[in-house]
Amino acid sequence: MLVCGSNAATPPLYDSPELAVGLMPRTPQQIAAFYEARGFNKTMIEKLKQQCFITVWVHNKSSQVIWLDMAQWRFSNTDGVVTRFDRYYWKTVWSEMQIPLAHQSTFRWTLLPETLNFQPDEREGGNIVLPRNDKPMMIQATFPTGADKSGTPITVNFNSIQCAKDP
Amino acid sequence: MRHIQQLWLVVLCLSLLSPGMAREPVTLPKGILYLAPYSAPVTELKDLDGEPYNLKEDNGTWVFVHFWASWCGPCREEMPAIQNMARTLQAEGLKLAMINTAEDEDTVFSFLSAHAPEVRPLMDRDGQVTEKWQPRGLPATYLVDPNGQVRYQALGGRAWDTHPYLTFLRHLMTSK
Repeated sequence: MLVCGSNAATPPLYDSPELAVGLMPRTPQQIAAFYEARGFNKTMIEKLKQQCFITVWVHNKSSQVIWLDMAQWRFSNTDGVVTRFDRYYWKTVWSEMQIPLAHQSTFRWTLLPETLNFQPDEREGGNIVLPRNDKPMMIQATFPTGADKSGTPITVNFNSIQCAKDP
Repeated sequence: MRHIQQLWLVVLCLSLLSPGMAREPVTLPKGILYLAPYSAPVTELKDLDGEPYNLKEDNGTWVFVHFWASWCGPCREEMPAIQNMARTLQAEGLKLAMINTAEDEDTVFSFLSAHAPEVRPLMDRDGQVTEKWQPRGLPATYLVDPNGQVRYQALGGRAWDTHPYLTFLRHLMTSK
């Protein structure tokens, strides 16, 4: 298990011979600019700007399968558990807002997958979305290993993760 | 002497086996996964000019099925390599289905003008065909055999115009 801290200058990064995981909190302006450029409407943008976006990338540097399983990620701050808004949440939100399928699809592809069996040397990334808050967050990410998940899991702790604010 | 005779016997056996062995999969280039074959999802789209495309009509040849979007950084990096590869291998019989995921015509046109003007994009306007393929992420590439079976998947962006990938694709095309 490795604990990683965060400060504004260096994005949090876990790096071992088997696995690398990086986090990059995004400001509301960055999120708005990205999705506006994709043609998302104002209502969608306003909804997204209220959230805390963190871009995550994962690189399996080992020679075995490493699993991303978001059900095994824990988010918390001093108030307790922070509940992530997953893709099923957003599907409901966008459907209720009658958002065009194209924009729903693009949004889904920008999210980190819920599960993925990372093959050796595979890298993928995407956003996780949390309720925006001002408190430092702890993220504990557990990665099962082995094709059948029977290997020793890798647990990574990120401490003091802050939602990024506009300058 | 007896050892030499045995050696020749081994060489003879190998030479007899070699025509068949040549049809077995070559060493997979980095990032290419072999898949237990399954039928390619129905893929009926239109290109940027509104011309219809149906993957099924490409049965009989290998098809390079690629999903991409202009906002995806690795897609931008990979696209010129795909164009270079296509320049060579389309003439040798490889078909390409370059499927844009959920973007509009203006975006696709602008992107390809800058990155790969020779590519013919297929428009998955609402992203629903991409959903059926369930890629691991974008970009995503699948190789579909002449019987319409998905046989290989590429992880992320690949240097398709380099020797290992060109050799691999050529091997597939000659081993149908």
